[in-house]
Amino acid sequence: MIRFATKSGGNTPGHLQRTGPGREALAGLALVALPVAMLLMLTLWPTVSMVIATFTVDGHMSTSRYAYFFTDAYSLANLRFTMVQGLVSALSALAISFGIALYLRFSAGRIATMIHALSLFPLFVPSIIISYALVRFLGPNGLFQLLLEQVGFTHYRTPYLTPVGPFLAFVWEALPLPVLVISAGLTQVSDHAVEAARDLGAGPIRILWEVLLPQVRRSLLIAFALIFLGIIGAYTVPYMLGPAAPEMMGVFMQRTLGNLHDADAAQVQAVVLMVISSVVGGFYIATMLKSQGGER
Amino acid sequence: MLSRRHFLASSAALTLAAATGVKAQDRKVLQVFIDGDTNISGWWNDILKPAFEAAVPTHTFNVTITRGVADGNGTIAERALAALQAKADPQVDYFEEFEPASVAGSIEAGLWEEMTEANVPNLKLVNPAAVEAPIRLPYRGSQVLIAYDSAKVANPPKTFADLVAWAKANPGRFTYGRPDKGGSGSNFVIRAIHEANGKDPSAFTKDNFEPAKAEEMLQKGWAILKDLHPFTFGEGTYPAGNTPALQLLAQGAVDMIPAWSDQALQALKQGVLPETVKLVQLQDLALCGGFAYSAIPSNATDLEGALALANFMLSPETQTSCVKDIGGFPGISWDNLPAELKAEYIDVIPVSIPTFPSGDWQKAKNDGWYKNVATNLTQGG
Amino acid sequence: MKRTPIGGLLILGTMALAMIGPILTVILWAFAVKWRYPHILPTEWGIKFWFGMLGRETIITPVLTSLALTSIATTAAAAICWPAAYAFARLKFPGRQVMLFSFIAAQAVPKFALFVSIAVIFLRLNLVGSFWGVVLVQMLSAVLYMIWIPTAAFRGIPPALEEAAFDLGASRLRVFLQITLPQALPALAASYVLAFVSILFEVDGALLIGAPTVTTMPLLLMSLSAQVIVQEAAVLCVMIWVPCFILLLLTRRFMTAKGIAQGFGA
Repeated sequence: MIRFATKSGGNTPGHLQRTGPGREALAGLALVALPVAMLLMLTLWPTVSMVIATFTVDGHMSTSRYAYFFTDAYSLANLRFTMVQGLVSALSALAISFGIALYLRFSAGRIATMIHALSLFPLFVPSIIISYALVRFLGPNGLFQLLLEQVGFTHYRTPYLTPVGPFLAFVWEALPLPVLVISAGLTQVSDHAVEAARDLGAGPIRILWEVLLPQVRRSLLIAFALIFLGIIGAYTVPYMLGPAAPEMMGVFMQRTLGNLHDADAAQVQAVVLMVISSVVGGFYIATMLKSQGGER
Repeated sequence: MLSRRHFLASSAALTLAAATGVKAQDRKVLQVFIDGDTNISGWWNDILKPAFEAAVPTHTFNVTITRGVADGNGTIAERALAALQAKADPQVDYFEEFEPASVAGSIEAGLWEEMTEANVPNLKLVNPAAVEAPIRLPYRGSQVLIAYDSAKVANPPKTFADLVAWAKANPGRFTYGRPDKGGSGSNFVIRAIHEANGKDPSAFTKDNFEPAKAEEMLQKGWAILKDLHPFTFGEGTYPAGNTPALQLLAQGAVDMIPAWSDQALQALKQGVLPETVKLVQLQDLALCGGFAYSAIPSNATDLEGALALANFMLSPETQTSCVKDIGGFPGISWDNLPAELKAEYIDVIPVSIPTFPSGDWQKAKNDGWYKNVATNLTQGG
Repeated sequence: MKRTPIGGLLILGTMALAMIGPILTVILWAFAVKWRYPHILPTEWGIKFWFGMLGRETIITPVLTSLALTSIATTAAAAICWPAAYAFARLKFPGRQVMLFSFIAAQAVPKFALFVSIAVIFLRLNLVGSFWGVVLVQMLSAVLYMIWIPTAAFRGIPPALEEAAFDLGASRLRVFLQITLPQALPALAASYVLAFVSILFEVDGALLIGAPTVTTMPLLLMSLSAQVIVQEAAVLCVMIWVPCFILLLLTRRFMTAKGIAQGFGA
């Protein structure tokens, strides 16, 4: 399937080209008009007006609101915490799903089918339910602790209300996407290539590093970007499972607006988060463009 | 749910029987927004609605719960302000509890209806001390108590110092909720601030907020709470609200928490909290409580109906239900309530409760707590 | 890479505990009347909380609202996005790449701040508190799935196949219906299901635009999740989650690595 995707980009079938470039352009624009208009109305316009508002203080242009954010130790600690949570959770989700995808690639049968089904399970569980469920499962005196005590382990410390709580929920939620994307990448590697490498005396680590990993590098980058974007904007999971402080940006923004009623500061926080997201998003787009352009 | 329904049904039955005459579909529907815990929304839906329909046959109301989503009622108030400016229908008539000052510019824009005895006659029954501003309708009060598991705590604390001593002697067995997420944690934090400032609630008034002085007064409170920080549940991870704290107590994860009297009493009645849980008030200075203030937007879809609802809320009947059904503290003076009610409840519900001013003090307290107490910045985390 | 069933069973066991464990706990709570530490299972079972929840009229309406809202919003999004996806994959027009990538760039805007701004716009258009206003705002959360997965799927169909049919004299419509569409169908179905689920669980937009007239199921769950009575939220969780699980079972064959991975550019 990767082969197909790389053929994309202006690969217009002959019968459509015959209709002439002018008509084709018109048809194309007409077909995309509605969703693009929706995006302009409901995303671009509100966003631009928000960004302008953050630079306007008493009718004049000013960067003072940003100056406050970037000198306030507490705001910076929250930003740092959000980035670390995003980074650690996304990388862990990638590592775990890489393991699962590897197993799925080299196994067949009922166990593999069941593992595949389980890895897709979170797609159908919303944040609010998994957060709530993890409080009950991993919380103090919850079912997990009860199970551990049944086998004699009594030193359980709950991750509820610590940074580990949201971390676990993020990894849990993120799992399906990288498993799917990496699995797709791994099917590119032929059994033949693996056997050939083994015949040359490569150990499993070297095969992993030199044969398998290069094939899925792009999948990993793309999955990382999507997971990271989802985590740094998250609200429900850190609200229900996370510690009081530091706060993740989603919770911080909500409290700034909801409890301190400081809409200006909340918007600045939103814009800072948006800029970071755009960098990661741009990196994602670049990854996709590079691979598409490179093979054409 | 069943036990609660039974308990609610007994008092609702009478009022239900009285609801006759107007057909349900002919009634105008008032849109009420509630940002409170479910004991409050349950009370509105199960008891107040039939009673209101009986008292004001032309109207009924629909409750929307905004708790936990976006900025709750604040979001809806922002929307109402935008509607006022755009002369559009705000689709709201009544805020069960809202602080008008929290939406910047809304008071100046005239978003809030002023309530006087002229448009809400029952305001004459309200204790003058409870009235802060004509745009804020005090209609129910509540207080915070210390809830503890008597199976684990032999000698419940009588003073704030006792409580701190107990928490330090039993690391991880005490906790309180984050002050911005619910009143139980908030009023505990306030109690610590009172403790550090001569146990004098009158030192904090709506008009005496002054940043430098406030910072100095609050810092003394933070010192007490920072000292307590490592001894609380999870060494300073605080549950996000009133009910998460109650659930920690219900699960046996902690043995002592501050809790709203009404919520704790209801949780005990429903068997959510173990029977061994008891409530106690500090004797040296009570934990704060406060009134819930309703607000009505001046551009309410049905302003007349909203004012009728406000009047209904302050009627002695509704206020009696507030005491009996949710264990609340009445918004009107005790003198205007049946004498036998006063006699029955006076032990549980004190005649007066200390309060803490809204507005700047609350903001400084909540934000200061996050920056000074909850954060692990100073501890190198 | 040897296949060791023991290793597989170990992975399966860990995954089962991690994936099913939390949900199982909620299901147990939904049927528990009394469950206190240190009992490993509820000491008193029953369904009295179910009667309590189902007996409230406030439960039934949000369930119906959510189903109607989600079906309409997802279908409407499909109706405008799938043709656009075909155009992105097959036609050349100015600004194509920029427009396509703007759908990803839009994901960078924090939803929460965005919805507040949208509410202000909708007020002027009289869309606040209306069913259609919520449909419109919720379609936003579907566009990423609805544009990218189908675009990749249409690109993945070898043009040679269509070309051959065209040369045999088939009309353009017939080529599309008989060659292109059947090949893209699994990916289209996958995008539909993913969009359906994400709309079903959307809360911020639903509250800001919908309140008070439109109340959805997850909004109700949000308001009940901070409940003293654990069982009430647990019952609602199970009520919301079971339909999703059935959906998962029904659509599992569309959820292939192929359909989704392509959609995200991998």
